Amino acid sequence: MLKIENLHAEVDGKAILKGLSLTINPGEIHAIMGPNGAGKSTLSYTLAGRPGYDVTEGKVTFDGQDLLDLEPHERAAAGLFLGFQYPVEIPGVSNVQFLREALNAQRKKRGEDALSGGDFLKRAKVQADALGFSMDMLKRPVNVGFSGGEKKRNEMVQMGIIDPKLAILDETDSGLDIDALRVVSDGINRIMRTPDKAVLLITHYQRLLDYVKPDFVHVLAGGRIVRTGGAELAHELEREGYGTIAA
Amino acid sequence: MSDVRNAEAQAAADRASTYEWGFTSDIEQDFAPKGLSEDTVRFISAKKNEPEWMLEWRLKAYRHWLTMTPPDWAKLNVPPIDYQDAYYYAEPRKKDGPASLDEVDPEILRVYEKLGIPIEEQKVLAGVEGARKVAVDAVFDSVSVATTFRAELERAGVIFRSISEAIREYPDLVKRWLGKVVPMRDNYFATLNCAVFSDGTFVYIPEGVRCPMELSTYFRINAENTGQFERTLIVADKGSHVSYLEGCTAPMRDENQLHAAVVELVALDDAEIKYSTVQNWYPGDAEGRGGIYNFVTKRALCQGKNSKVSWTQVETGSAITWKYPSCVLAGENSVGEFYSVAVTNNRQQADTGTKMIHLGKNTKSTIVSKGISAGRSDNTYRGLVRVAPTAEGARNFTQCDSLLLGSTCGAHTVPYIEVRNPSAQIEHEATTSKISDDQLFYAMSRGLDQEASVALIVNGFAKEVLQQLPMEFAVEAQKLLGISLEGSVG
Amino acid sequence: MTLALPTTRDEDWRWSDLSALPALADAAANGGAVVPRWIGEGPRLLFVDGRYDEAASDPGPVTIGAIDAATDHPLGRLATGAGWTLSLDKDGFGGTIEIVHIAIGGANHVPARIMLAEDATASIVESYIGDGWANRLTRIDLARSARLMRAIRIDQASGFTSLRDEATLAGGASLVTTILGAGEGGTRIDAHIALDGSGAFAEHGGALLARDAQRHDAAIVVRHAAAEGTSRQLWRAVADDKATTSMAARVEVARDAQKTEGEQSLRGLMLKRTATVNLKPELEIFADDVKCAHGATVGELDKRALFYMESRGVTPDRAKALLTHAFIADALDRIGDAPAREAFLADADRWLEARA
Repeated sequence: MLKIENLHAEVDGKAILKGLSLTINPGEIHAIMGPNGAGKSTLSYTLAGRPGYDVTEGKVTFDGQDLLDLEPHERAAAGLFLGFQYPVEIPGVSNVQFLREALNAQRKKRGEDALSGGDFLKRAKVQADALGFSMDMLKRPVNVGFSGGEKKRNEMVQMGIIDPKLAILDETDSGLDIDALRVVSDGINRIMRTPDKAVLLITHYQRLLDYVKPDFVHVLAGGRIVRTGGAELAHELEREGYGTIAA
Repeated sequence: MSDVRNAEAQAAADRASTYEWGFTSDIEQDFAPKGLSEDTVRFISAKKNEPEWMLEWRLKAYRHWLTMTPPDWAKLNVPPIDYQDAYYYAEPRKKDGPASLDEVDPEILRVYEKLGIPIEEQKVLAGVEGARKVAVDAVFDSVSVATTFRAELERAGVIFRSISEAIREYPDLVKRWLGKVVPMRDNYFATLNCAVFSDGTFVYIPEGVRCPMELSTYFRINAENTGQFERTLIVADKGSHVSYLEGCTAPMRDENQLHAAVVELVALDDAEIKYSTVQNWYPGDAEGRGGIYNFVTKRALCQGKNSKVSWTQVETGSAITWKYPSCVLAGENSVGEFYSVAVTNNRQQADTGTKMIHLGKNTKSTIVSKGISAGRSDNTYRGLVRVAPTAEGARNFTQCDSLLLGSTCGAHTVPYIEVRNPSAQIEHEATTSKISDDQLFYAMSRGLDQEASVALIVNGFAKEVLQQLPMEFAVEAQKLLGISLEGSVG
Repeated sequence: MTLALPTTRDEDWRWSDLSALPALADAAANGGAVVPRWIGEGPRLLFVDGRYDEAASDPGPVTIGAIDAATDHPLGRLATGAGWTLSLDKDGFGGTIEIVHIAIGGANHVPARIMLAEDATASIVESYIGDGWANRLTRIDLARSARLMRAIRIDQASGFTSLRDEATLAGGASLVTTILGAGEGGTRIDAHIALDGSGAFAEHGGALLARDAQRHDAAIVVRHAAAEGTSRQLWRAVADDKATTSMAARVEVARDAQKTEGEQSLRGLMLKRTATVNLKPELEIFADDVKCAHGATVGELDKRALFYMESRGVTPDRAKALLTHAFIADALDRIGDAPAREAFLADADRWLEARA
């Protein structure tokens, strides 16, 4: 599904990713762990196409298509979803309006019919209910006045509504208490754990992985993947810390 | 990165420079001689079969206008206007007695279609049973040619006429209020309007009547080099209520067209007037050629106690806008509101805002202004809040926000606060910002392209104002914001 | 002498009343000299009727002589001829210099020039007392990272005080000006502060207290011409009796002045219903990546607070004075020189007490 080969990327002229390679197949959940500054967020932003994250070398294909050639909204329409570490506030624009426009823009690009207001609301309600997110919250401006936990939950509601093929979840667990973490994890499993979808979890801590069991765990350090293993690697990291492994 | 984006924005702005509604319709004109003189004024008055007092009033205004100079205090660069090089009167040829729709020139109806008059209103024009009732007093190049729903309005006692008709049919009512809110000598453009106003609308809502439908007028400038001098007078008698919608588009022209309208509103005790405008006149091309000069005087007199006037405007068009819809809050507990979105792109210039003059006790005013500048345009909010010594307990809240798209435009805020009563509470807040890269990327990562993302964020920025508009206007206005800003990412 | 004065038709002078000036300009200096109240022990200069009083002065680094500071400002341009100059480099005198201007009827015009070299620091405290028209033009040039603190109190018993500042700031330079108007005369304060170098910082503000038929009038322009500058304008206007206090403050941000942060806070307090407060917080912005905000409020003292204080035994006049003091204090807190700050606050309190 996603194939990253020898990816080099820089921000403000500073090289952050230095030859990262990774292949994700349908049905797989991958976790990328690593110390602060290893390039975890750079990887997620580069894959989503954030301006200012410049690829200097390497290749990324998504379902055989050159991902790096696409604009951010085209990547979204292709089925890529980025769960933001810091979801952005958009005053005056309601969640419902935002997501309906976004979803219908994606559908249009894929040659699908637009969802009517009623159908959209039904779909949104299902996702909101599943994540304990009130309709009232859905009608409020995007992320404005939301707590950190509410913002993360909103990201999951959005993911459920948009229903992507590949979700890159950047520190989705940060800032969540244990109950919220459980709700968010259930959401990830429910929405994304199917044979035709895949997830790339980016996290600093192992605790999310207790709830969303990864098939592979990678350690990112110095801009490349230095070690790959199964779920047990996360526990090892938790015990030993990054120092020894990344060294 | 932002350089790249600016270049993209510029390219997109170039592409968007073709005016979407640029077309002309072929309707024969009955012109007044070119140029401005006492003879022009007499011609117009005669053409309209006006009584002697009206002609005298016009001549008095004209003679005073000759002694005046155009205002120069606005942050506008106005090329000199040759008032002799323009026509002051143009009337579409019409058959006798255009009382019913069938008799309306089909060309005019086709123009409405091109104008994209909402389907509901087209149904109304077509007489479809059960259609939502919107009375359209269509001002087509100065002269009212079709008035619908007159009968139903008249059953309610509402007078909805072209001002020319009203001068003939209701001389006392017109005489009583014309020039009372905007005096004949008020300002250069208003005085000119007094002398040469061609037509416009008169509305009277009798005591205790809630106008049974929203009143809407479509203004449109059609004839090349035809100055437009609309005159609107709305009087809401005690306890009455009316919502008036004004929307405008104009066909593409190379030469500048002057528009100097005057709108006067009067609200008596417990009356309420809601006046909404979507202004989308031709803004000129990307280099600033052509486009309408929109020099408008709009003012409301909240004469009665507990009266209320609410101005809502969405200004996206015109090459130059000079416009300050204002409220004189004379009645005790009267309320004035001003909600404005002004968008400027390319070489457009807008200097717009409001004046809230608090005279009566416990008067309240609210000002919400959202200025959006793009391209090489300049966008100025200019507002005055004045509290007279008599205005015990006056309150004002003002919020002025500016959004800049790109680094070649300007956003200016010029508020004046003059307070002569200590019990007044005046609050003014203003911010200036740009669309953040974070917001743009977030919206794009959810599947919206750049233009849709900008339109979404801008609509969010302007939401407080847009939600004041009647529903059918709100939808049109949202689209307009998107169209006006295509490609203008900062 | 014929005075060519601006009129209220001129936008920058719309709230001004300069009607007293022609008579003051023609009047002879005849008043007796007032005794200056010095705040500190450092260098000091005394000007009486615009003339330098050498015997009463200890000028430190300040020199006296002809000043070249041309301006087209309608009042500032009247201040020609001899004046004072402070030119300091990095290792120059770093303490506070005090200047007292005594007007003795009639008009006196004095130009001044302040030039701080790279990294130089200076602090100047000026006081205006006496009767008559004191008119000043001060030209300020701050080189890279130079820092100037100015504190000015206007405390004339009658007449008029008009001050015109024209300042340019190079990169990283800092100018903080705080003005207290607590006298009995009329006032016009004009300033044009240009942040020409990146990362410059300017603060201009203060408190203007007016009573009887007094008129205080300020017109301040801060121009951001370079990137990453910061400016603050914090003004408090108090008007009592039939007085008028007017403040027009403008922030201009030029096309290239990205990352500018501009802040304006204009607040007016009216103590009687016959008073007038006029405010005009203006923004003129040509750069898109800026943070500029302003706030303006006008109102009277909080009646609930007054009642609360009275219910605890504070007299109404004292309660008003305390609340008014609180209203203006944050503007005067910006004075860096501690003894000067104390002296200014004491002057303000004296004004407040005199209301009773």
